[in-house]
Amino acid sequence: MRLGMVIDLKRCMGCYGCQMSCKAEHGTPPGVFFSRLLKREEGRYPTVRQILLPVLCNHCSDAPCVEVCPTGASHYAEHGVVDIDPELCVGCRSCMMACPYSNRYFNVDQRNYFGDAGPTPYEEMRSARHTESTVMKCNFCKDRRAEGKDPACVANCAAKARFFGDLEDPTSIVSQLIKDRSGFVLHPESGANPNVYYLAP
Amino acid sequence: MKMEDVGALKQHKEGEIWEDKWIPSACTICYGGCSILVHKVNGTVVKIEGNPKSPVGSGRLCAKGISGIMFLYDPHRVNTPLRRTNPVKGIGVDPGWKPISWDEAMDEIVTRLEKVRAEDPRQLVLQVTTTLAPSSLVFFPFGWAFGTPNMWVAGGGVHCGNGAHASSGVTHASWSIVPDFKHCNYAIYFGASKGHGAGHAATPNISLAADARERGMRMVVVDPMCNFAAAKANEWVPIRVGTDAALALAMANCLVNDLKIYDAEYLRDRTNAIYLTRPNGKYARDPASGKPLIWDTQSASVKPHDDPAARNAALEGEYLVDGELCQPGFARMKAQLRKYTPAHAEKITGIAAATIERLAREFGEAARIGSTIVIDGVTLPYRPVSAIFFRGAQGHKNSMYNCFAIDLLNHIVGAADVVGGTLGFNPVCHGHPDTGKPYYTPKVDRDGLMATGAWMLPHVPYPPADPRKPDSIGLIEVFPLSHVSPLMASSDQEHWWKQFKLPYRPKFMLNYGANSVMSVGNKEAVVESLKSYDFIASFDLFLNEFSDFADIILPDASYLEVVDPRPNFPFIFNHPAGQGEWGWPIRQPVVEPTHERRSARDVMLQIAYRLGLGPEINMGVNAYYGLDGEQMLDPDKTYTIEDISDHELKHKFGPERGLEWFKEHGVITWPKRVEEVYWRTFLDVRIPIYHEYLIELGEQTGKICQEADMSYDPAYYGPLPEWLPCHAHEEQDGSFDLFAFYYRDAIQANGFTMENPWIDEMARIDPFSYRIAVNADTGRRKGLKDNDVIYVETATGRRVTGRVKLTEGIHPEGVGIAACAGHWSKHQPIAQGKGVFFNDLLEIDFAHTSPVNLNLDLCAKVKVGRHEAAAT
Amino acid sequence: MNRYDQLITDLGSDYRPQREWGEGRGLLLVIGHFLVGVAGGTWLLSSIYGITAGLVVAYLLGGLGGITHLMFLGHPEVAFKMMRNVRTSWVSRGFVGLSLFLLGGGVYLALMLASLGGPWRAIELLAQIVAMLGALTVIGYMGFCYTASKAIPYWHSPLHPALYIAYAVRGGVAALLVISAATGTTANASLLQLWIAMSVLITLFFVFETQGAWTSGNIAARWSVRDVLSGRLAISFYGGTLAMGLIVPVLLLVSSAEHPPVIMALIGIASAAGDFFMKLTTVKAGVYLPLVLPSRR
Ligand SMILES: Nc1nc2c(c(=O)[nH]1)N[C@H]1C(S)=C(S)[C@@H](COP(=O)(O)OP(=O)(O)OC[C@H]3O[C@@H](n4cnc5c(=O)[nH]c(N)nc54)[C@H](O)[C@@H]3O)O[C@H]1N2
Ligand SMILES: Nc1nc2c(c(=O)[nH]1)N[C@H]1C(S)=C(S)[C@@H](COP(=O)(O)OP(=O)(O)OC[C@H]3O[C@@H](n4cnc5c(=O)[nH]c(N)nc54)[C@H](O)[C@@H]3O)O[C@H]1N2
Ligand code: SF4
Ligand code: SF4
Ligand code: SF4
Ligand code: SF4
Ligand code: SF4
Ligand SMILES: [Mo]
Repeated sequence: MRLGMVIDLKRCMGCYGCQMSCKAEHGTPPGVFFSRLLKREEGRYPTVRQILLPVLCNHCSDAPCVEVCPTGASHYAEHGVVDIDPELCVGCRSCMMACPYSNRYFNVDQRNYFGDAGPTPYEEMRSARHTESTVMKCNFCKDRRAEGKDPACVANCAAKARFFGDLEDPTSIVSQLIKDRSGFVLHPESGANPNVYYLAP
Repeated sequence: MKMEDVGALKQHKEGEIWEDKWIPSACTICYGGCSILVHKVNGTVVKIEGNPKSPVGSGRLCAKGISGIMFLYDPHRVNTPLRRTNPVKGIGVDPGWKPISWDEAMDEIVTRLEKVRAEDPRQLVLQVTTTLAPSSLVFFPFGWAFGTPNMWVAGGGVHCGNGAHASSGVTHASWSIVPDFKHCNYAIYFGASKGHGAGHAATPNISLAADARERGMRMVVVDPMCNFAAAKANEWVPIRVGTDAALALAMANCLVNDLKIYDAEYLRDRTNAIYLTRPNGKYARDPASGKPLIWDTQSASVKPHDDPAARNAALEGEYLVDGELCQPGFARMKAQLRKYTPAHAEKITGIAAATIERLAREFGEAARIGSTIVIDGVTLPYRPVSAIFFRGAQGHKNSMYNCFAIDLLNHIVGAADVVGGTLGFNPVCHGHPDTGKPYYTPKVDRDGLMATGAWMLPHVPYPPADPRKPDSIGLIEVFPLSHVSPLMASSDQEHWWKQFKLPYRPKFMLNYGANSVMSVGNKEAVVESLKSYDFIASFDLFLNEFSDFADIILPDASYLEVVDPRPNFPFIFNHPAGQGEWGWPIRQPVVEPTHERRSARDVMLQIAYRLGLGPEINMGVNAYYGLDGEQMLDPDKTYTIEDISDHELKHKFGPERGLEWFKEHGVITWPKRVEEVYWRTFLDVRIPIYHEYLIELGEQTGKICQEADMSYDPAYYGPLPEWLPCHAHEEQDGSFDLFAFYYRDAIQANGFTMENPWIDEMARIDPFSYRIAVNADTGRRKGLKDNDVIYVETATGRRVTGRVKLTEGIHPEGVGIAACAGHWSKHQPIAQGKGVFFNDLLEIDFAHTSPVNLNLDLCAKVKVGRHEAAAT
Repeated sequence: MNRYDQLITDLGSDYRPQREWGEGRGLLLVIGHFLVGVAGGTWLLSSIYGITAGLVVAYLLGGLGGITHLMFLGHPEVAFKMMRNVRTSWVSRGFVGLSLFLLGGGVYLALMLASLGGPWRAIELLAQIVAMLGALTVIGYMGFCYTASKAIPYWHSPLHPALYIAYAVRGGVAALLVISAATGTTANASLLQLWIAMSVLITLFFVFETQGAWTSGNIAARWSVRDVLSGRLAISFYGGTLAMGLIVPVLLLVSSAEHPPVIMALIGIASAAGDFFMKLTTVKAGVYLPLVLPSRR
């Protein structure tokens, strides 16, 4: 089984729900976004197009981040998920320089969103569990998967633009969508072999 | 936290999980009220998700909804009642807040209210925020009980709804309109965000619109900016701000006069297109019954409109009735539309005539007039096209005509509340199968035209009330198609009160959340009007720019701390339209209010009871909630919001489904029936395409206005929509060459979400949220570089500054500003200084107000340039 | 701007600069790379020329470089875990290399200075080999670390390792020039020639790399070049790298036919400073590959 995601850019309307649901799910510290939405413009007025591009870790099959990691903290977990073991990570940040998709973040220190006012009860419960001075990223919502749930960003997407499943199973929704609508990956030239696919807007 | 919880806490060991619950409730960060599930662990909210059991969101939330945790736990919230110690009120003047007890606060408020009521109850003004619209219901009964007509929703209505709600109410029996996403093939959006993160049922519509896109619905977005809707459109049609009526009328002209595409059957059977009109524009009426007449082509004679012969009525031609040449409304419309040629519209809108012709043709052809479809075994008209509008198109001086003109496109092709066409938000509900409640449906009213079955307010748009001398400070009695009025906070209010001989002045304001200093228009005007109050008490979560003018602040409990039996009712407001399910969720406290926070609505009930208004407010609540029989409130008892919620829920869903049942289940759902969704075919009601009633209304309004020396322009009261310019279009000074407008940011809700650090962070990364969008070429011509600090200035010298975002995605004459940002209150440190305060560019006076529905004109002619002070 | 505000601004920009290496505590990494580069080069050249003082200095610089490397890490206390992935990770190899260098070099220096002789000679020789292997790894690993950084197209060039090796050698020359001035010995004349050769190489490599980045068609690499030549790093590039690292030493070189030790030392110091700025500039110039839709999809 190789877990992967498909993001249908035709359905996505750029609501940032994925970015936010991921933040809330993981209590990521300020400035850390396992999931992000990018907005870009293509073309000139009046034939211009807004490109709304949600990104996350691609759980690459040939992940440069795993390759460069000196400690093995970045590793292939089961079903092709690329994960970071905070116990092993020494915070050298080579992986951040290696990920062609800039989807890794360094958790400098235990900051919280209201600054001097201190952590909220939520942050005490959720954000405090992150290891400081290590690199963080999306783990395809490991804990949710263990509970049999879809990743937070998938389950919440109001446009139902995100799909999650087994890329090795040709009958899975993700495999079907990639086949039927010629799914593509970002920066195929990187050689990382991403497992997050996109469908054309 | 409740006392027993604190006790419980003590007994728990470190790391032990003693509570792990998912509690169903409803979001209220915008008025969408999406159904949520709140995950609570050991007393702390750790996640907010959508409730998949409810059709209001179907388990999915927008980014704001998810971020609610950060509102709940914001350390800057108000936690105790506060009293000002500095009597001087002004922008930037510190009120010197001092914590006081609830008893002290209540005593002072009640004593003052008693005095006000004894003098003249109309001196009380109730101001509520639109954000809490579905929860503000106790405030209205309070107003009635107290005896004041002065209630408003700050910028709400005058920005977003006076035109759209009135228009949609008259023709779709609903608060707003939306394409039938499931079946529509071609939709034109005129400044609306339905399915793109704003508007009514904001989040549920996102997936419906995505389904439609995937299915292949063509979407054309007419908007000065390629923001949310246009980003997903097949075609973006950039339009000069405020000129929508000119475009819509030209399209209508192409359809009926050039292409001859119109649904004659629909017009004949479901509209007043066949009503005969006299040369003076009014209906030809049956002398005996007063009923409007139609021309029966079979008998070649006039008949009352409700005669069975109406099936053969003429849509065109001229007929001699009582010595006058009369024409069916449709014929008049056709004739009047002739002057709206595409070439004329090109000059006004900046859209090429050929494009306009093409859009009209595409729209007309996609309508498939005459076709039918079978839904649930019933054969129904199939008109898979839709023209919708909302805040963008209606926020102008010619608000009413803009709305009517755009909606006319739907009626010309018969695409109103039929399969694939333009739907109102659920104007028909036959109720839950067990109880038949809630039940409402449009009905036939004056002159055979439709009146709404359910409405958010006591006075319905059709038939409009008779204009009369004003009783309220907003003068809405003079303008019955309005529902709120900018004159509640305008710069010229005192002048008009004198002119209209208003026998009292507002003295006491009770505010529920609204931040009117920011949400209406330029701050000076609003602040002046606020300063004239003797006393202002305000319920809020935060101290904000408005609070600086309050005397007492009452710490409200947030949406995660209160109960509400009907976060989504009436369904015409923000329940997803079209086929699917009905869902009635509730809101319930997921945590108990901490500190001294109290639910504002309970406090309002207590104030009413202490004022001795128990019977009045209980009866008011009965009227508002439609409570009768066993569930009717006893006038002589006192209730809490929990009690009332229990009554309301039992009343609608039976005695076994009270508040306790709903607290456990969160929502009740049942299937929608085809007669409810596509009701137009099943109900024998007509709607006006010829707004004859406006003539009479205008004459009466005009008479009252003239007595007060208020300018009255009959041009706004014609029965057929026209293009009329805003002030911005008449600006003479050529150096003011751009039109500033604002738009909803999908990631902000009106004015207060910038204080949420998760949202703020997102907005800071977003290219547009906090910046001023200017066309890249225009910017370059003016020597601007991306991210420069620029000023935006009006001819009246109003000026705002902010960072510029040069973009290809905006009309060359447009200046687009997101949301209602630019906070300066130091009590919201995260919001402070972020984004741009658009409204400071807006005049608030009668001259900048629609003289039909009192909508404020929301566009401003401006110039922009580098802000030199910031250049260093 | 504080780190967080900077990050938020960066995330909103089309070309997001990397700031983990080279800014804040990340400066320690550049210093570390600089120091161990010079250390490696000095060790190499000192071995060749047989300059004991050079070996000692190289060792000390290597130790200092190791410490700065550690101080840069998020979790220096578990740095030994970096040995786990020599199979694919250049950082891991560098760590092992530096460890070998410090271990072998330490043993070698101790034995050599103690000149115990006898069976110790064998260990001394072994330690020397280990130290040399370590030094060579250290010289080589850095460039490969950058080349392996697929996120940063500007670094992702096969010339980067060559550039770093040349830096190391030039750094070694610089160190020996300073050492000889300090110890009052006359430096080997071939050192200056080596310096000139390395400077020419570095300049060529840099020009090729820059030209490659500019013409590779990668917009992020182009953006980096622009940042270096005319953007946010121009001062550090022209002032530090060009003026300090090339023009000053060249002027000193051509100012007279004779090169007294002071001048030689100055040439060494200026060139080393130039190398440091070159590293700093190219590290800081790294911008992430922007995420865009593939043009043919
Ligand atoms: N520039 C600009 N101006 C606008 C708009 C815009 O988009 N841009 N929108 C216009 C429209 S259409 C509208 S409807 C109005 C809206 O204008 P307002 O009704 O004034 O809405 P907000 O500015 O969002 O302010 C909402 C207030 O409600 C408070 N609040 C939130 N939840 C609670 C609660 O549970 N209890 C209490 N007591 N208070 C609460 C918040 O703290 C905030 O002060 O603004 C209008 N003005
Ligand atoms: N995310 C989010 N959702 C919200 C709210 C929010 O603040 N944020 N507020 C809620 C409220 S109170 C309301 S009233 C609704 C409003 O919902 P919308 O109708 O979506 O309101 P806007 O985004 O202000 O206006 C819609 C579009 O009109 C465009 N526009 C501006 N001027 C013109 C014009 O002259 N002509 C045309 N054709 N277009 C124009 C704008 O660029 C914008 O794209 O949203 C509700 N939902
Ligand atoms: S939540 Fe879904 S619709 Fe919203 S931005 Fe993310 S992918 Fe797009
Ligand atoms: S996207 Fe980046 S972080 Fe994720 S697996 Fe690929 S290289 Fe690693
Ligand atoms: S920062 Fe951590 S995960 Fe990344 S490469 Fe270094 S050790 Fe591995
Ligand atoms: S899969 Fe989970 S961790 Fe990854 S981006 Fe989505 S929500 Fe975040
Ligand atoms: S649309 Fe409005 S009600 Fe729904 S989740 Fe978003 S903020 Fe909450
Ligand atoms: Mo609104």
